[in-house]
Amino acid sequence: MPLIELKKICKTYSETKVPVEALRDVDLEIEKGEFSAIVGPSGSGKTTALNIIGGLDDPTSGQIIVDGHDISTLKKDEMINFRLHHIGFVFQAYNLIPVFTARENVEFIMLLQKISKEEREKRAIELLTAVGLADRIDSRPSELSGGQQQRVAVARALASHPSFVLADEPTANLDSKSAISLLELMEVLNHEYGMTFVFSTHDSRVIKRAHRVITLVDGMIASDVLNTSAHEN
Amino acid sequence: MLIQLAWKNIWRNKKRSLIILSAIAIGLTCGLFASAVMYGMWDTTIRNTIDKELGHYQLHSNEYKAENLIANYIPNGETVIDSLQMQPTTIAVSGRTIVEGIAASPTSSGGVRIIGIDPPDESKVTTLYQYMKQGAYLDTVKANTIIIGEKLAEKLNLKLNSKIVLSFQGLDESIVYSAFRIQGTFSSESSAFDETTVFVRQTDLFALLNHPIIFHEIAVRLDSDKELATIAGQNQQKFPGLKIETWRELAPELNMVNDMMSLYLNIFLGIILLALLFGITNIMLMSVLERVREFGMLMAVGMKRIKVFFLVIFEAIALSLVGGIIGIIFGSILTVIFAHVGIDLSIVSEGLSSFGVSSMLYPSLPWTIYPTLTFMIIVTAVISAILPARKAIRLKPSEAIRSF
Repeated sequence: MPLIELKKICKTYSETKVPVEALRDVDLEIEKGEFSAIVGPSGSGKTTALNIIGGLDDPTSGQIIVDGHDISTLKKDEMINFRLHHIGFVFQAYNLIPVFTARENVEFIMLLQKISKEEREKRAIELLTAVGLADRIDSRPSELSGGQQQRVAVARALASHPSFVLADEPTANLDSKSAISLLELMEVLNHEYGMTFVFSTHDSRVIKRAHRVITLVDGMIASDVLNTSAHEN
Repeated sequence: MLIQLAWKNIWRNKKRSLIILSAIAIGLTCGLFASAVMYGMWDTTIRNTIDKELGHYQLHSNEYKAENLIANYIPNGETVIDSLQMQPTTIAVSGRTIVEGIAASPTSSGGVRIIGIDPPDESKVTTLYQYMKQGAYLDTVKANTIIIGEKLAEKLNLKLNSKIVLSFQGLDESIVYSAFRIQGTFSSESSAFDETTVFVRQTDLFALLNHPIIFHEIAVRLDSDKELATIAGQNQQKFPGLKIETWRELAPELNMVNDMMSLYLNIFLGIILLALLFGITNIMLMSVLERVREFGMLMAVGMKRIKVFFLVIFEAIALSLVGGIIGIIFGSILTVIFAHVGIDLSIVSEGLSSFGVSSMLYPSLPWTIYPTLTFMIIVTAVISAILPARKAIRLKPSEAIRSF
């Protein structure tokens, strides 16, 4: 059974004068352990697709099965709870809590999951060490570089033991060196821990490293190819 | 961690938080001090009235309460006084002989209430002696001496040691005249009292009335007024032929003020908090609008909307409580300082005395105001944060996380 399954997903934004069809009859299956990129030009619907997979947006029609759950039927607060326990998020602008340290940012998700203090602290330190920030545990986001902040965001995304991580243009705000370093980190997490990553991106560096590249054009899947060279790497 | 996050959030924009914090602190300092002045003023007025004139409770004959006639005195007054003095809660008892009459000088005259007192007994019940401005309080040696209010002295154009003629109806309905020498003048907070009340020695009145001891009024001072109603009730049962009234019944206007004072204070502070409420709402709204992306992220990663709602509420409570506590501390310090040194309003004493209010104010506040005020601050904070909190939870995470 696929980890993520989109069935005939349509999304139309009707708030504008002329309704915009962001996704049109999208069928997509993503298996556990994939390292996939959803790519496409601006306005192709990749962020909408990611939002719908992450339960941040409702489809106009169609069905979404995530980790065996039909999330299109969940109510708002049930959806929030589902996201907390099943999905890790990495955002383009890092979106860390500025008044918290790196450790507190990672712990916060586990706090929402009502995990004990000892366990929270232990796991936060483990994750920050895994993303290469063992020496910046007590630093606030303002004291970290963009690349380091995004690493904290990755650690935060993994803190809740999610089924998969959704990353919306994770390298868009990073310089080349930081972007490559971050991608390498995510590859390691995918390879060693089997964590599923789904990106939306138009960054060629990400596309090159993705194992599977799903291209959206005008809200429809134009191509869905395996990137064999990335696999070999 | 939610409270920890709320606390840290309020210090994100220090300048803005300090401004609203100062506004709350200054507003409450002033509000609390103004309340203390108001409360102290009325509390002093009530205490002065008890101390100067009423005592804690009084006894009269039922007939005297119906009509202030000289003949309506308390039957067996001395026995009643003896009985009251035996009671453990009684500090002092003063029997008064009261006649309504006219005070005349060579130039003018006016209606007065002539109160015959036993000076040592009266000085234990009331503090009239503290209001002496000129001359001395009544003593027990010189006959036909009188003390009158400065206001009356001014009206009758009399000075210390001048003679004043009192005339009143005797027990046999004949008119009694007698000249008294002014031994002293007093000035209380009440100009009406000063203009219409004179004090003479009881023995002089008995002699003029040609009658043995009679009392129209017995005033009693207690060690405290906590059990006042109970004691008055017990004595009412003991002396069914007499009318027993506490100061609350004798001065119903003061009783009403006393009862309403807490309500007035709460309303007054409530108005100040209401004004601050809009400021807090404004600050919280700005704070929420600045953090749209963060709220979007919190809800996206799994923070329930109710928690986001309470995060904003906690921020408003933290902000308001810090400002409120600073305000309460400064307001209390000001109150304590001025409760010792007093506030001299003698420049407007004339106006104040017509209301029976002392020109020296000693601010004070009942302790109950502090928990009530703290509760009011929290309620204000919660109300002020509802709109911003609703705004935060109505954000769509998918849109909010991409906003700048």
